[in-house]
Amino acid sequence: MQCKIPAIGVASSNIVHYATGYVSKYQTGMPIRYVSVPFPFTGQPRAVDVGYVSGKDMLTGQPLMSAVVNALTGPLTVEEKMSGAPPEEAVEPRLLPPDSEENLRMLFEDKEWTDFNSIILPTEKRVTAMLKGTSHKPDEVIKTINITGGARQLTVEKVAINAVMAGASPEHLPVILALATQAPFGNSTSSMANMVVISGPIRNRLKFNCGTNAMGPYNRSNAVVGRAFTLMSKTAGDLRNNVNAWETLGNTMQYNNMCYGENEEALPDGWDPLHVEMGFKPTDSVITVGTGWSSIASVGASQSIYPTHYLMRDYMSSFCASGSAATIVIDPTVAGLLKDVHGFKTKAQLSEWFSQNVTKTNASYWGNGVIQSTAVPFALAGLEPYASWRKLPDDALIKPFTNSKAIHVVVAGGKVQTMWFVTDFGIRRGVSIDDWM
Amino acid sequence: MKPRFFASFLLGTLMLMPAALSSRAWPKHPQQAASAKAGPGSSASAKETLPFPQVPRITAEEVERLAKDKGNVVLVDTDDSESYAAEHIKGAVNVAYDPTADVRDQDQLLSALPGDKLIVFYCNCPHEEDSAPLVLEMWELGYGHDKVKALEGGLTRWEQLGYPLAGTDVGAGATQQKGN
Repeated sequence: MQCKIPAIGVASSNIVHYATGYVSKYQTGMPIRYVSVPFPFTGQPRAVDVGYVSGKDMLTGQPLMSAVVNALTGPLTVEEKMSGAPPEEAVEPRLLPPDSEENLRMLFEDKEWTDFNSIILPTEKRVTAMLKGTSHKPDEVIKTINITGGARQLTVEKVAINAVMAGASPEHLPVILALATQAPFGNSTSSMANMVVISGPIRNRLKFNCGTNAMGPYNRSNAVVGRAFTLMSKTAGDLRNNVNAWETLGNTMQYNNMCYGENEEALPDGWDPLHVEMGFKPTDSVITVGTGWSSIASVGASQSIYPTHYLMRDYMSSFCASGSAATIVIDPTVAGLLKDVHGFKTKAQLSEWFSQNVTKTNASYWGNGVIQSTAVPFALAGLEPYASWRKLPDDALIKPFTNSKAIHVVVAGGKVQTMWFVTDFGIRRGVSIDDWM
Repeated sequence: MKPRFFASFLLGTLMLMPAALSSRAWPKHPQQAASAKAGPGSSASAKETLPFPQVPRITAEEVERLAKDKGNVVLVDTDDSESYAAEHIKGAVNVAYDPTADVRDQDQLLSALPGDKLIVFYCNCPHEEDSAPLVLEMWELGYGHDKVKALEGGLTRWEQLGYPLAGTDVGAGATQQKGN
């Protein structure tokens, strides 16, 4: 739609080069004029934000409002008069020409096709061998990933390439193909992380670690599958540092994505495996991906004076509770205590208890940026309970985990200590691995 | 002979999408069936060709009845924010359907919807093309299949029946009864 009204963008300094660089090049083909203010502006005293307006444009150094007027009224340059779509980028070749291993490693690093740990170079022979791990055809499209300026088809062959690079074997390929349906992983200005949970018979068949050190660097299957998610996300998702990957601190969990198996054999009676709770059969092999920001590990052995679920509740109160999302990973010993001593006969009962007992102050709930972007519009539209919460005093206690079904419990670990993790990871329904055999 | 090396993602072409800002030019949801010819109230055989036939529909009449019992139903408008601001079902919240967006961003909004009420998604499209995909996404997030539905006929049907609307295009920005 052409309104024939001059328009410019005002962007903060942390992202303006994104708007004027990558997006401008790939999204519109037409440069949009920007002026820029310092960052951060949220959370600042009002006087500081007013100072930004009376201060200078970060791009031109002109007084900000003069820069706005000039940008709105200045004549168009030749480049700005361009119309239509920008020229298509040259398609990169499917195969690289032969070169030395050293040069190819440098190329892969220069292109950011790695996680900067050593990769297995994906030769034609290695990829062909990897593809023997599935009955699916190499050119089958798993999904189309929308990237800035276009779309990229993630095929079975591309996943196999990443599997080779991650150090996987052909028998891992169906797991990685199922995982590919969830790629790329989250990319935000905040430090997002992921969790990959393996369920069902495939855990034992491929010797995924579900016991001692389930989340540590002690197992090949956990390592290569978790890493493959990172490599797929970076390559197929076109994620490049400071070009379109913007996590201000990043997150070390992105190296392996907390890949582990559920210790289904150690579940208390009545506690179903994660994938069975989602409607799969116990004999199904399933991969499940969670995404969030925060993870807190317990410290020290469980004490009877303050049961583990009380501690978990306290820790969870520090989470933003966006969408009621939480995933709690507990050692089988803790699961046993929760069932036998504290009476939680199912995981669902424990989730419901958290939903009813985790509280936080109204101010700490609304003081989170994620909540500002999700729950505030709902509150303003009158949706409960958000609308009522907005009217409460800052120190009022609310129960932000309103949806107990978004609170998941996974049992893993080696019964060495009564340990657990609480995370704010939201989980989407698992994906069948069997479908990718 | 030296081995040849695959370029990691280079098998993917960078397709430029000049129409990416148009919702109608966005790629279709992978589970969407062949384009529909039938509308609400069409014959059973025609209904089988509706997009996303696995998504349960609910009629506007039924939603209106439930909406009168405040709190029983949550209506979600899946149009973009500008269209929502202009006109939407009274009381509806907005979660725009954007198949090009990061699904996790969308999930942040969807998972903030209550889990204990009936949630009805609607779009300004004849066959629930933009509302049914969000029903499927709600299922992925663990919401009950019986708790999430798509409004049959969407905003158009609601308007035809003269049920309450709100928005800047609805009577000088005020909420009012419209239609009939």
